[in-house]
Amino acid sequence: MTNIHSTAVVSPKALLGENITVAPFAVIYENTEIGDNCSIGPGAVIYPYTTIGNNVKIAHSASIGHIPQDLKFKNEITYCKIGSNSVIHEFVTIHRGTTANGETVIGEEAYLMAYCHIAHDCIIKEKVTIANCAQVAGHVIIERNAVIGGLAKIKQFCRIGKFCMIQGGRSVPKDVPHYILAGEGRLQFGGLNKVGLRRNGFTEEQISTIKRVYFLLYGSNLNVTQAKEKIMAEFPGDPFSNEIVSFINESKSGII
Amino acid sequence: MNTIHSTAIISPKAKLGGNIEIAPFVLIHDDVEIGDGCYIGPHATINNGARIGKDVKIYQGASISHIPQHKKYDNEPTTCVIGDNTTIHEFASIHRGADTGKTELGKNVLIMAYAHVAHDCRIGDHCILSNAVQLAGFTHIDEWAIIGGSVPVHQFTRIGRHAMIGDGYKVGRDVLPYTLAAGEPLGYYGLNYVGLKRRGFTEEQILSLKKVYSIVYDPQLNVTQAKEKLLEEMPGDPFAIEITDFINNSKRGIITR
Repeated sequence: MTNIHSTAVVSPKALLGENITVAPFAVIYENTEIGDNCSIGPGAVIYPYTTIGNNVKIAHSASIGHIPQDLKFKNEITYCKIGSNSVIHEFVTIHRGTTANGETVIGEEAYLMAYCHIAHDCIIKEKVTIANCAQVAGHVIIERNAVIGGLAKIKQFCRIGKFCMIQGGRSVPKDVPHYILAGEGRLQFGGLNKVGLRRNGFTEEQISTIKRVYFLLYGSNLNVTQAKEKIMAEFPGDPFSNEIVSFINESKSGII
Repeated sequence: MNTIHSTAIISPKAKLGGNIEIAPFVLIHDDVEIGDGCYIGPHATINNGARIGKDVKIYQGASISHIPQHKKYDNEPTTCVIGDNTTIHEFASIHRGADTGKTELGKNVLIMAYAHVAHDCRIGDHCILSNAVQLAGFTHIDEWAIIGGSVPVHQFTRIGRHAMIGDGYKVGRDVLPYTLAAGEPLGYYGLNYVGLKRRGFTEEQILSLKKVYSIVYDPQLNVTQAKEKLLEEMPGDPFAIEITDFINNSKRGIITR
């Protein structure tokens, strides 16, 4: 049964699913859509053009779908989408898109810890975890199952590969390829994210292939172009080598 | 006409202009002035001493003119002045003045989410503070400067106009106008070419600035020698004079190369 506290302000134009809990002093604006079984914490605000999936938990004072911090933004209609089963903690801020991408998207089962910020036009894929105070700038793409450490800062337009882990407190100025740890000194390759890959059901064989691909990229004296050629020559048709090479080819900021 | 949500609590003593929109659960205290066309977002609190200009936007949970985090402050009636067209994003906190009586933000300033502006800070027109920037007390940021995300700034520091600080670095000394600063410890990273061009500086002006900084940051010279050389080689040049004055007035010293 839907349970809306008497002090909460909910627009009659908001589309609410079933079995939703809205805590005291929460505000839900018009043109919002909230799926079944969601809970909206005290003081949280859901802004217009936000769509929230099912079973999403939004904690105290979180701000979802606010207008972007982009000087080019002129109040266009853009969107913010939150995937089902996501958890969003206290004081998190998520901004809606600008005309560049039109939407900010948080994938299913995302876990956003307290104070973290997701800027306009970001695409966060499913099962991503972002720890406290991490600040994600505009247009960033974070691929599935990546983990971003606390207080990390990700520069605009960066792409973080899938199953990656970024050390807490780091500034991420460039793209981070799939499956790896990034940290220590200047942000650099810190080995494979083996624990994360094993937990997510990767086989030892797959892990060893990924390791050999990264050895060519980071462990030999080749430059990136030479490493790509050697990866393609040594692992023809291998899905991981294809994936990693295409990640490098698509990188706008260069890779770490 | 003002649009004020029924759940907002607004002191009858607060002076509100026209065409103001106030969202749910906003709290506005007694000694507050708010200009025409402002928007105050949900759960924002405007404390005593706030003097807010026209068309200012203050978003969710922001705290304006809160009492300073300063042990010597004893409830003196100080102010927090915010210029026209300034935007303050979610959960930013701006404290009112203590020793100097005033914290002041200029016009067209953009303060992003979670940023903190302490007591007695001065922020010039068109400045941008990115997410989670933390300014300590008495910091001066001159017009058009941009501070990258999560940057902490030491108290009494001055950041010159059109300067830009890279994401996540720590500012402990003064940053000269028109420059980029980055690295650990924070160092001079060249001129802010892109910013200067966007704001209409001519190639000639930029060349002249480049010459000034090639002298100021000449590895062979210390600061005193550099100032003497500036006076000798570029007498009467407005940039040379401005930058020499900035160095002379610096309380904390300037960042090195």
